[in-house]
Amino acid sequence: MKRFPHHTLLASAATLAVLAPGPRVSAADDPVALRALAVSHCSQCHTFEKGEPHGQGPNLWGLVGRAAGSAPGYPYSEGFMTALKGKLWDTALLDRWLADTLSVAPGNQMIYFQDDPAKRAALIKFFESQR
Amino acid sequence: MTARKSPGESQRTRREFLKAAGAGTAAAAFGTVTLSAKEVQAATFDAEYDIVVCGGGGGGLPSALFSRWLGNKVLVLEKAGTLGGTSFKAAYWYWVPNNAAMRKAGMEDSKSDFLRYVARLSAPQTFDPSAPRYGLNEWEYSMCEAIWESASDGAELLASKDALPYRHVAPVPDYFAEMGYKGNTGRVLFPKDGAPTMSDGGRVATRTLSLACRRDGVDIKTGHRVQKVILNDKGEVIGVEAKVEGGGVYRARARKAVVFATGGFTHDPELRKNFLNIPVYGGCAAMTNEGDFVRIASTLGVQLRNMNYAWTCPVSLEKAIARDPSISGMFSVAGDSMIFVDKRGKRVINEKLQYNELAQKFFEWDGAKAEYPYLVLISIWDQRAQDNSAGHEYGRLIVPPGTDDRHVIKGNTLEELAANIDARLQKYAGYIGGMRITSDFTNNLKASIARFNELAATGKDLDFGRGDRPVEQLFNGNVKEEPGRTNPTMWPISGQGPYYAALVTGGTLDTKGGPKTNNNGQVLDGNNKPIPGLYGVGNCVASASGRAYWAGGATLGPIIAFAYRAANTANREPVKS
Repeated sequence: MKRFPHHTLLASAATLAVLAPGPRVSAADDPVALRALAVSHCSQCHTFEKGEPHGQGPNLWGLVGRAAGSAPGYPYSEGFMTALKGKLWDTALLDRWLADTLSVAPGNQMIYFQDDPAKRAALIKFFESQR
Repeated sequence: MTARKSPGESQRTRREFLKAAGAGTAAAAFGTVTLSAKEVQAATFDAEYDIVVCGGGGGGLPSALFSRWLGNKVLVLEKAGTLGGTSFKAAYWYWVPNNAAMRKAGMEDSKSDFLRYVARLSAPQTFDPSAPRYGLNEWEYSMCEAIWESASDGAELLASKDALPYRHVAPVPDYFAEMGYKGNTGRVLFPKDGAPTMSDGGRVATRTLSLACRRDGVDIKTGHRVQKVILNDKGEVIGVEAKVEGGGVYRARARKAVVFATGGFTHDPELRKNFLNIPVYGGCAAMTNEGDFVRIASTLGVQLRNMNYAWTCPVSLEKAIARDPSISGMFSVAGDSMIFVDKRGKRVINEKLQYNELAQKFFEWDGAKAEYPYLVLISIWDQRAQDNSAGHEYGRLIVPPGTDDRHVIKGNTLEELAANIDARLQKYAGYIGGMRITSDFTNNLKASIARFNELAATGKDLDFGRGDRPVEQLFNGNVKEEPGRTNPTMWPISGQGPYYAALVTGGTLDTKGGPKTNNNGQVLDGNNKPIPGLYGVGNCVASASGRAYWAGGATLGPIIAFAYRAANTANREPVKS
């Protein structure tokens, strides 16, 4: 089970991973690299482990396969709910979302656009493991 | 909530990681590459632009837009996976002296009063209201004058292009408005669609600025960490080299100029320890702010300035030590039936002091005991404050039920609270010099509460002046309606539990020192000559503010002014071969 200090240990590892040249991240990559990418891109706003608190964005444990806008206690924006309420977070929707969140749900709070499909796939793969 | 693991184990391995990371970054990775004419011809750049902006946050996005709107081909290279940098989590008030809205509203501003105000705060030892530069040196004066000249031009252009529409928050006073200079109210602008509480401007601004960038054809690459500046054999900047996330190197040619807006060094422990005048614990700057430009520019013979000061704020000790990426600075100290006490259980400061000033207290040195006696202060509040002053904004310690309250310590009685505080302190022994509460803590705490309650009943804090000044009222936060009270920042603490506490220390929004630039953002060499093609905007270069935090938004307002001037000056640069 991963707990709070362990998460921040890997935040330092993520920095190290970004500095050291290495193989390009692909969907087949090992869990450590996938986690490092997620920490680097997502941890400013999101936590990933079961029971961790919401931050600027909702906790993402169990994201894949749950309904959008369903994390208990998180104040989703109107822009988010208008576009996405009740839709299922499957890999296809996640891929569209991560490509450009503001075009999927205009006016929502998350600002992220990733035009590298391999990176999107890697992030999705990480979140699939978080349930 | 997950149970907290003892940080002892993580501490050791984390320190090893950080040491290893530090050694790797400091050595070969950063610096300059000089190419001969032949090498420039043969060099393979991945792409060619007129202007390359390093950093996609509060300084970078405006710099990129201003450059683009002048007709340049522009690239933004962002180290993190997302845009916004430190400004994304910020409230994003921006301080614009003599702004269009205040002029329209008939609110007077004055260049000489503006300059006197900033001089009084930034150069208090030499301040002279009748001297030609009011006690500022030439460089400081020229930088401050540039803020007066250009902040409004920059803000208006961003608004007119829908990149940063604003609303005027006219009643907001400057932080030392009681000094009575003209223009001390009315200078703050705020992103138009932000919340009424004005806490979420960073998200709004990052959205509007980044949409404008993409609408207007600014190229953006995230996950690209600029590590080297490329020079031709005349010493002119002609491009940058970036390490790409996941592997590889990316080189961008910059025909006219490179603008650095990469933020400060809040998250580099080595730079913090060796440059800052206070040993802060970290802060709410973007996690990627590790002083990259200090390291890169140091190979170019620049003059590092203002490295000793930072935009400071109290922070949760625990969140800072955990390097929690969601950490916010404590811009508002919540609660009226609330006090801060030291390890002895005694009140030592006005808890409602503006955050930059409050943060200094933690690092006062005791020359007899050889310690920082106030390194960790403990916020204490009652159920009444918990019920009425909870909020999730501005880094407040009092949070609503169901939100992240891992930093909160509880006790049904003051004795129980004290025991729990001591247990919490023990977890962080290695970071706080083994600080524990003293044996008379509980007795002193009771006496402190009794004394505070006496003062709160009159509304006059004779010990520390809490609530005397406009800025302290400004950040008071929600408190229970108490008809007839004269000082909303104070109310007696209850004689009955439950009680709550949290550990507080000092941190930085970000540092504000780096290479010296002229007032057009050109980075200067050791002879005060601009390094051709090299610009710096924001916290990666030296601020002329010294230790001072002039007003809410005195970070971002000046950044917009310098982004505007840098873009306009860089636009006129000759193309370098």
